[in-house]
Amino acid sequence: MAESLSPECTPLKMKYDSCFNSWFEGYLEPAVAARPEERAAYSKKKAEEFQRNCGKIWEEYKSCVQKAVKDKGLDKLLQQAREENPLKEPPTGSSPPPTSK
Amino acid sequence: MKFFSQSFLYDDTWSIVSLAYFLRYPNPYASHVISCDVISREQTDNGTLMTTRLILKRGNLPRWIPKGLVSRAESWLVEESEVDPFGKVVKCTTKNLDNLKVMRVEESVQFRQTADGKTLQHSEVRIMSGFGWGLTKRIENYGITKFQSNLQRSRDGVSLILELIRQSRLQPMTLGGNTLLPPNRTEPCRSPEVTQRPDDIEAPRKGSWSKIRGWWSRQPPPS
Repeated sequence: MAESLSPECTPLKMKYDSCFNSWFEGYLEPAVAARPEERAAYSKKKAEEFQRNCGKIWEEYKSCVQKAVKDKGLDKLLQQAREENPLKEPPTGSSPPPTSK
Repeated sequence: MKFFSQSFLYDDTWSIVSLAYFLRYPNPYASHVISCDVISREQTDNGTLMTTRLILKRGNLPRWIPKGLVSRAESWLVEESEVDPFGKVVKCTTKNLDNLKVMRVEESVQFRQTADGKTLQHSEVRIMSGFGWGLTKRIENYGITKFQSNLQRSRDGVSLILELIRQSRLQPMTLGGNTLLPPNRTEPCRSPEVTQRPDDIEAPRKGSWSKIRGWWSRQPPPS
């Protein structure tokens, strides 16, 4: 919930984040087993719920931020990053052993 | 190229850790995050959620980086994530979009539920500098050292949000008492809240989010 990259989108972003986060909290805890057909039904239900509650604000925020991304030339940077993708080499294996708490 | 990885075990369940991870900005340990936007987000046919976010971070460059090479000490990052609520896995990759001549950084983090209901975070970073001038190794080492110290801060941030979620879930659900802050806030890491009325949402645990936002605002919501 930091600011938006464009001040004019920030109010829309705040509304969208708030709506999305409420939805997301429920999405993370599906009350059904993971049988494929149940999965599909659950996903559909959650998608509809999102659309109903947050669909409108998401469209408004998205078009605001997408315009800002274009205006700042960030779409070109994104495109470049996707095309180049130079960091696909496997790990060098020199990493220290994992630690845990 | 330099590579570093580290794992960390949270005692909390996957869903709460994942929620905290996605809610981690703003937090007092992440005041370097200037902006964070979702530029695309969709549910896949498998029921997972794919998100692309654009993040602008402020960074401090070391003095030995030659002047004029880096236009400003801010960096755009793209974060791509996939959340699978059935398999209980979050995968998230972050790359920098600019200052690529100096250093490319690709971070990836995963959260998986363990058999005993805890959450394992695994973080990796690959750093590659094509800079030359005898500085390549120094830049890569600098990047790794920064990553290691940032990892701790990042975990502190997530832990703080986790604590807030835990507290909010212990309390009875009192919704609708959220503060609406004026837009002219002064502290960058606190955001004004535009809150949902409870009848607008259907999430089974709709309280936590609204309450956590209440904590960030200057005056706690009336209980």
